[in-house]
Amino acid sequence: MNLTEIRSQRLGDRYYRYQHSSGLTMLLCPKPEFSSAYALFGAEVGSIDTTFKTSKDGDFVTVPAGIAHYLEHKLFESEDGDAFARYAKTGASANAYTSFDKTCYLFSCSENFKESIEILLDFVTHPYFTEETVRKEQGIIGQEIKMYDDNPDWRVLFNLLEALYQNNPVRVDIAGTVESIAQIDADLLYRCYNTFYNLNNMVLAVAGNFEIDTVIEAADRILKPAENLSIEAKVPDEPREVGEHRVEIKLPVAMPMFNIGFKELPGSKRENALGQVLDEILLEIIAGEASPLYRRLYDAGLINSTFGTESFTGRDYCAALFSGESRDPDRVYEELCAEIERIQREGVDAAAFARCKKAIYGRYIRMLSYVDDIASAMLQAHFSNFELYELLDVIADCEIETLNARLRDNFAREYSALSVVAPA
Amino acid sequence: MSNKMVRRQLCDGVYWNAITDAKFKANRISCNLILPLDAETVTDTAVVPFLLRRRFRDCPDFTRLNERLCELYGASLDADVRKHGAYQILNLSIQTLDDRYTMDGELLTNKCAELAAGLLLDPYFVDGVFDEQDFELERRSLVDTIESEINDKRSYAISRCQSVLFEGEPFAIKKYGTKERAEAMTRQSATEAYHRAVRDAAVEILFIGCGDGEGAAKIFADRFSRLKRSPIAHREASTKAKAERVTEKTDRMDVSQSKLVMGFRIGELESQEEKNAAKLMAALYGGTPFSRLFLNVREKYSLCYYCAARLDKATGTMLVDSGVEAANKQKAQDEILNQLDVVRNGEFTDEELDNTILALTSALGSVTDTLGGMEGWYLDQILSGSSQSPEENARQISSLTREQVMEAAGKVTLDTVYFLTSREENAHESN
Repeated sequence: MNLTEIRSQRLGDRYYRYQHSSGLTMLLCPKPEFSSAYALFGAEVGSIDTTFKTSKDGDFVTVPAGIAHYLEHKLFESEDGDAFARYAKTGASANAYTSFDKTCYLFSCSENFKESIEILLDFVTHPYFTEETVRKEQGIIGQEIKMYDDNPDWRVLFNLLEALYQNNPVRVDIAGTVESIAQIDADLLYRCYNTFYNLNNMVLAVAGNFEIDTVIEAADRILKPAENLSIEAKVPDEPREVGEHRVEIKLPVAMPMFNIGFKELPGSKRENALGQVLDEILLEIIAGEASPLYRRLYDAGLINSTFGTESFTGRDYCAALFSGESRDPDRVYEELCAEIERIQREGVDAAAFARCKKAIYGRYIRMLSYVDDIASAMLQAHFSNFELYELLDVIADCEIETLNARLRDNFAREYSALSVVAPA
Repeated sequence: MSNKMVRRQLCDGVYWNAITDAKFKANRISCNLILPLDAETVTDTAVVPFLLRRRFRDCPDFTRLNERLCELYGASLDADVRKHGAYQILNLSIQTLDDRYTMDGELLTNKCAELAAGLLLDPYFVDGVFDEQDFELERRSLVDTIESEINDKRSYAISRCQSVLFEGEPFAIKKYGTKERAEAMTRQSATEAYHRAVRDAAVEILFIGCGDGEGAAKIFADRFSRLKRSPIAHREASTKAKAERVTEKTDRMDVSQSKLVMGFRIGELESQEEKNAAKLMAALYGGTPFSRLFLNVREKYSLCYYCAARLDKATGTMLVDSGVEAANKQKAQDEILNQLDVVRNGEFTDEELDNTILALTSALGSVTDTLGGMEGWYLDQILSGSSQSPEENARQISSLTREQVMEAAGKVTLDTVYFLTSREENAHESN
């Protein structure tokens, strides 16, 4: 068995990489001291992949918004019943999710791991769609979309993304719209599947109580070698400029909700992903609970405990987000821009830097003690071309000048926007 | 991997519950002040944890407090209010990295315990009452929290259904109280609520993690033993055995998807066995992706994205909730009731039963893999007067029979049908 061990000196933890003969990359982190195991089978396709072809196809195809998510729903079905019915016999708790840039199928179990991993590998690699089964899903996904339409947190975020991005499909809802999904048929689903669900571009991440041999033997039995095709996805040119600086809608909410975003310059996948942890330190310095800005806004009654920050990064986008509820979101926006400009002028405070670095370091280590988080982090690291534990080194080795430069280059009022959901 | 809870009394009505497991990298200390839900005092009591979270005597500055949390490797400090049956629970929790994983061998666990105990028992008072600015901000914030209940339509609909279902019972009292009282209360009344809480509450402190909690236990024992206490005794609130009639209630709002919530009574669940049977019944009916409700209301009729049943043992009720098109309300409601009859009549297969048992036991097997999972599980045990481990519960559930599931479903009666729908007057109601 040709396993590559990936170790963390800091934690004494390790996981293994295994290149399966089918083309699939496996990331395996056995932790026998846990009772459960968590497995994720991921493809690098998300809502932003709307125009693509493989090296075998002549022309690019442009597909309706929401197709990656639709495909995720439909993969659960096969000729002999659905995957949930098969998992029912193992006791595993199964699910799936589609994000902007990936789709993952997962289960968690504390019994019958072997049977569950077989189901996971099998159903994801055996698509089965007919016009009738595809049509049936429209009612269900239509209700899922409507559920999100009523969700103010979701709407305030997507309105912001729509304002920040002019062309990048990250500005479109992951599930698409009731109209776009009506155009999805079995042929399009197969085209999408055959492009992105190629084992050479997929990864299996497992953490917890399981044996490595069990996973490899299951893969040997179930997976057929995949043709090594390269995928070309057309990424629309995205200007640095935002589309709009302020957007507002009305919904039945108690108090105005806001999302403020600073559109950053995206780099490679690796740069975006590792830049995310640097941004997290920076966001903690700018607006964490220990920051002067947080104190000022809180004491002025301009924010409440719902206030938070997020580094929003993916394959070809990168933004810093601030969100919360406020009676005066425009004031919060003004205060935030002014504070960022102040730190840009004066430089990051050394004590705040040391403190916030420690806080983020602690949070990442805590995350690495849960099997689901470990599996997700391994998968994310793989898709972003880095090794999981590099994250801890990036934080521990981070220098104040790196953050000052990031703040200078990426946080500008000019490239920012405010999205508000106001009470109807 | 036994994860047994070790419980002992620190002083009058203050219990220390430790569950340790070397596999974790962090420790969590969760302090719970348990009080009876009382309409008179609930709101004043609800503001207390948020005031305590601002500062305390040894650290009288909010920003400095948060700086200390950063220095403790990003310790998370949460203050909130919980509700269990007819109890209001004030919670203050702190969680951080275990001492083994710090960059330079710092000792974090005892520092976190000192901080939590200080916040809880040594508040920052000005002339014997909470600080005026703190109070004004947190009072306002409580009003906002109460009002923002409408933001999440799914949980709002559930809460509205419960208000109708529990009318006249203590369960109807909301954990944050009322907007009216939040607007009227004073810092004197909030300070009184604080003193009442530390004097009267049954206190359950949970220590969960990989470290040694003995130092932390001593810190809490020392602080609490300085107080004069008269803790309340645990008592189970009585629940109505069955619905007398079905109450229907519709609210209108600008929503694109309607929410249907059906409230059922199941009555007092006295023995552990009855509780287990009810839990299994609710899971078979609507708790898994192969349950009756999922397979029929969602998959067969494509009426919704979610349709789920959840049991609340403490109030002896079960709720079914679903997001549907207004035009499909009756169809969904009929099918939900139809599937309940199926369970009552035992028209489910042995395989369904076995699979549901397996789903529950497998899920119970993962409870001990997270600090949050263990906290939730053991606090629930303590509040229902038990100390069962998830493993023991899984063993009991495995031995339940089809008859017990049918019997549990037989006790279920429909009490309330709540519907949250759009303002488009009667547009769909003729269907």
